[in-house]
Amino acid sequence: MSAAPMPPATTAPRALRDALRDTGVKPWPVVRAILLGTMALGSAVGLSAVAAWLIAKAAEMPSPADLALAAVIVRFFGISRGLFRYLERLASHDTALRGMVALRERTYARLASAGAGRVLALRRGDIVARIGTDLDAVGDAVVRAIVPLGVAATVSTISIAIVTVILPLAGVTLAAALLLAGLGVAALTARQARIAAEAGVAAHAAMATSSLAAIESAAEHRVWGTRDEALDEVRRADRDAEHALELGARPGAIGAGLLVLAQGIALIAGIALAILAIEAGTVSGPWATVVALLPLAAFEAVGAVPAAVQQLFRSRAAAQRIRELTQPLAGGAFAEPGAALTEPGAMSAADADRAAASGGRENPGAGPAPAPEAPHELTLDGLSVAWPGMTPTHPITATLRRGEALGIVGPSGIGKSTLLLAIAGAIRPHSGAALLDGRPVSPAHTGHVVALTSEDAHLFATSVLENLRVARGDVTEGEALRALDAVGLTDWIAGLPDGIRTEIGSGGHTVSGGERRRLLLARAMLHPATIVLIDEPAEHLDVEGHGALRAVVADLKARDRIVVIVTHHESPLEYTERRVTLHE
Amino acid sequence: MRPLDPRLVVRIGPARRYILVTAGLGLLTALAVAVQALLIARLLAPWLAPAPLADDGLGWLGTIVPVATRELSTGLPLLAGVIALRALASWAQERLAHRAGARVVSELREQVVAHAAAMGPRWIASGRGAEVVTVVTRGLDDLLPYFVRYLPQLGLAATLTPLLLVIVLGLDWLSALIIGLTLPLVPIFMVLVGLVTRDRSARHLVAMQQLGARTLDLIAGVPTLRGLGRERGPAARVRDLGEAHRRATMGSLRVAFLSGMVLELLTTLAVAIVAVTMGFRLVEGGIGIETALAVLVLAPEVYLPVRNVGTHFHASADGLAAADAAFDILDEPLAAPGGNDPAPALRGRALTCDRMGIAVPDGSRLAPAHVTTTLLPGSITAIVGPNGSGKSTLLLALAGLLAPTRGSIVLEHAGEDDGSGTSLPGASGATVIAADGTVAVDVDAWTAQVAWVPQRPDLGPEARTLSLGERQRRALERAFDSERPLVLLDEPTAHLDPVSRADVVARMRALADAGATVVVATHEDEVTEAANQVLTVTSEQTTVAADEESQR
Repeated sequence: MSAAPMPPATTAPRALRDALRDTGVKPWPVVRAILLGTMALGSAVGLSAVAAWLIAKAAEMPSPADLALAAVIVRFFGISRGLFRYLERLASHDTALRGMVALRERTYARLASAGAGRVLALRRGDIVARIGTDLDAVGDAVVRAIVPLGVAATVSTISIAIVTVILPLAGVTLAAALLLAGLGVAALTARQARIAAEAGVAAHAAMATSSLAAIESAAEHRVWGTRDEALDEVRRADRDAEHALELGARPGAIGAGLLVLAQGIALIAGIALAILAIEAGTVSGPWATVVALLPLAAFEAVGAVPAAVQQLFRSRAAAQRIRELTQPLAGGAFAEPGAALTEPGAMSAADADRAAASGGRENPGAGPAPAPEAPHELTLDGLSVAWPGMTPTHPITATLRRGEALGIVGPSGIGKSTLLLAIAGAIRPHSGAALLDGRPVSPAHTGHVVALTSEDAHLFATSVLENLRVARGDVTEGEALRALDAVGLTDWIAGLPDGIRTEIGSGGHTVSGGERRRLLLARAMLHPATIVLIDEPAEHLDVEGHGALRAVVADLKARDRIVVIVTHHESPLEYTERRVTLHE
Repeated sequence: MRPLDPRLVVRIGPARRYILVTAGLGLLTALAVAVQALLIARLLAPWLAPAPLADDGLGWLGTIVPVATRELSTGLPLLAGVIALRALASWAQERLAHRAGARVVSELREQVVAHAAAMGPRWIASGRGAEVVTVVTRGLDDLLPYFVRYLPQLGLAATLTPLLLVIVLGLDWLSALIIGLTLPLVPIFMVLVGLVTRDRSARHLVAMQQLGARTLDLIAGVPTLRGLGRERGPAARVRDLGEAHRRATMGSLRVAFLSGMVLELLTTLAVAIVAVTMGFRLVEGGIGIETALAVLVLAPEVYLPVRNVGTHFHASADGLAAADAAFDILDEPLAAPGGNDPAPALRGRALTCDRMGIAVPDGSRLAPAHVTTTLLPGSITAIVGPNGSGKSTLLLALAGLLAPTRGSIVLEHAGEDDGSGTSLPGASGATVIAADGTVAVDVDAWTAQVAWVPQRPDLGPEARTLSLGERQRRALERAFDSERPLVLLDEPTAHLDPVSRADVVARMRALADAGATVVVATHEDEVTEAANQVLTVTSEQTTVAADEESQR
């Protein structure tokens, strides 16, 4: 994913706006959080103002009763700040979390209804690696950007209003200083964030690539004495990242200085104008003190602007990535037949149309559900697939009737898994066709007439039984146990604490590579589709695993299914009638 | 997780300068703020006092901020100067702060990458490689705030808070007493709140993480569900899980935010009490207006460093967790084989594999199993066998990068006088890799004589933009031109067109004719046809019986 080209910066704000709309967050809860935040920071301003008045008034040595009310208010503000801050944090987090629930659900629904080719080509790691933190980052836009910025605006307005009522000219200088601090710092931080997004992100991508190369090709570097060069490359990327930090620190530092300077200007102007007003007798001592000291507290809210702006940029980038993940258009979209040698990422108009058709209009939840009848025959007619820039696979021709199996064998990376995607109807072939009773397969068949179990298929964090019910919702316990027996997992189940109801996956009972494969085979066996496609991984298939695969294929054939296996091993070819070996 | 991780502190090294600079600038800022407070008091007091001020309300601090600053013409320019100084300090702080951590993080990152690269091919292939990359990129970046914000703040809280308290004491002992009594309450109450809520928040945290993981689990399973046509069902479950996750999180936050509230409550309430107490003392004449104004402005500043420590510690918690992971990787012992014996020259000498077997990482299989063969100089040996039978692993062992689990690799005496092929001790024939998996020779000197071309060669940054076939061709070119005596090629023709394939076979032949030992793992008939001998490798299930046999 890191190789994907940088999205144009202009689309990122829209992506965040759209993502925030997807959260379904209504204005009122956000306003409520901002109001609570205003009460919290407003308490600080109030405390400062009333305490200043109290001290200055006390200096006039009035009767203590004249100070009683002010003293109560000061104590109240002393307590209310912490209290309202607590309530504000709860309110803003609750709002954001509610939004996250909706956003997760919508992201799930988008992924589920995106073009089959797009979704099935996603690697599990790609999804897991980023989407969790990215979804959280969109939520953080509410808590750490929108609410603090709103609070900064309201608290600044309140401060200006207090000062203006007492001494209008001081109100004007405070307003000017707050505007200078707020907008100036926001602009400078935005500049810093943009540098981080451009130079920083590029350096980080280089860091990840070079680190991975230094580690994964360590043996090669050792043999050829290029280890130091590989580590130098990591070091160079590190230096580039440091340089980006250095560049970003320039506007950031100016912003920090500006904030102090603006506060200082407001303070000096406040003191000078207050003293002049006392001298002129237009404002009494206590009220003038409020004018003089308020700038000390008024700038706290504006001080949150840099962090908020940076969060806004982070959230935008995250929203952009989520959008790319769920959008039907992909950089690796399929090329037209004959266009395989175009540059990676290039997409023909026909691809765009097709992508739009499969992602937009062909929403499985919208139209009538496709109910293709069970086919009798699967024909691969010179079928060949290719990603852009990749040599097309050798054309395959085969005809399979019900109860027959085909084994496709070949080295890794040659396109076997992609071939299965084409047979499943998820993607378009480079040339040739996969035909069901003479009609080409389509995305409508994917998962319904043609079931696909990929090599990195997912085991869900739920019970063994529920994981098998992923194939068919009404699998009974008896059916499940029979399928588990066929793949040789009976002893394993017997050893589990709750048998077939034991929770597995993340947070549950750990499952070894071999057990995982066999569970996936049992799941494939229970699926009602006529055509069953199984992509076998290169590893984790021991002798018993081969036995399980053999049993599953035999069972499926006995039940008149058509089976296609993709494998790196030769052994499954023993029980498939037809076999194809792929060479480059 | 410790707030001051000694493993990190010892690494600071040259960055110590910047941490000290950051802390020094923090000190300067705080002192400027103190002077600013005194100046404000000086400027305002004469206008608020009912009678002309006779005494110096600032006590001994009057020597720092003289009485003359009560005049606007003296006080305001001085105040402007102090503010300019503060602005400059803030600017310098932000300008330099990142240097306090960036280099430390970079160096830690480079060490982890170098260590992981030295861990050997098996460790890397176990998936740890990708994990290390996650730790060194995303993880360690979060460590920056620890050095840049948290460590300097910790120093400031330890030094500045007492210093400011002494200044308040110089002004008014009663206010200093109130502040001095409430300050220790901050950590005490935070610890108490932490203790009381620990179990509750731990329980919530577990529920929260589980529910969060399950929601992501469903999203991660979308391709699987799509392949089985079952993608429409779980949307409602994503919502239910998300809703449960929200409730659990809110439960946890309600508790977690309590300590933040205690912090804010104590610090603001103490300031309010100081203000109100001074107000009533002013009425009685127990304190002067000048003193009272200075204390009023200073009081919140005393608490500031303590509050900042709390804020920044949470910000750097993720980074500390990543640092833990990084140190765990650095703590893993290097498993790479290698002894001190000088590596023998390979040129012109035959290599014998004697009943050699290499276990897969989980130990369940030997792949390859029972390899017994002699690789002669001037000949091509083709290794064939199904995928997963251990062809690439055998090449790794011959390159000296992987120790065999069983059997040995023996370097024969040069020349024809030793035709028996048995292992001879001493100079003529030497066991370079023994049955117990130890490698006697210096591995780097051994590998320097080996021209190994792996399946997906890297070749550095420039080559990464090339196609796999082009990269393969370049890697082969490097091997063919290296004139190294032992040539190990892993499926060299896999990504090549027929013309290039024929060229590779011809070059292999030429190298062998020039006296090199060529070993090639392959599936291609045209390669095996060119070989002098064909070795079929097989894998074998490890059994208890076989283990016992090997021990005998």
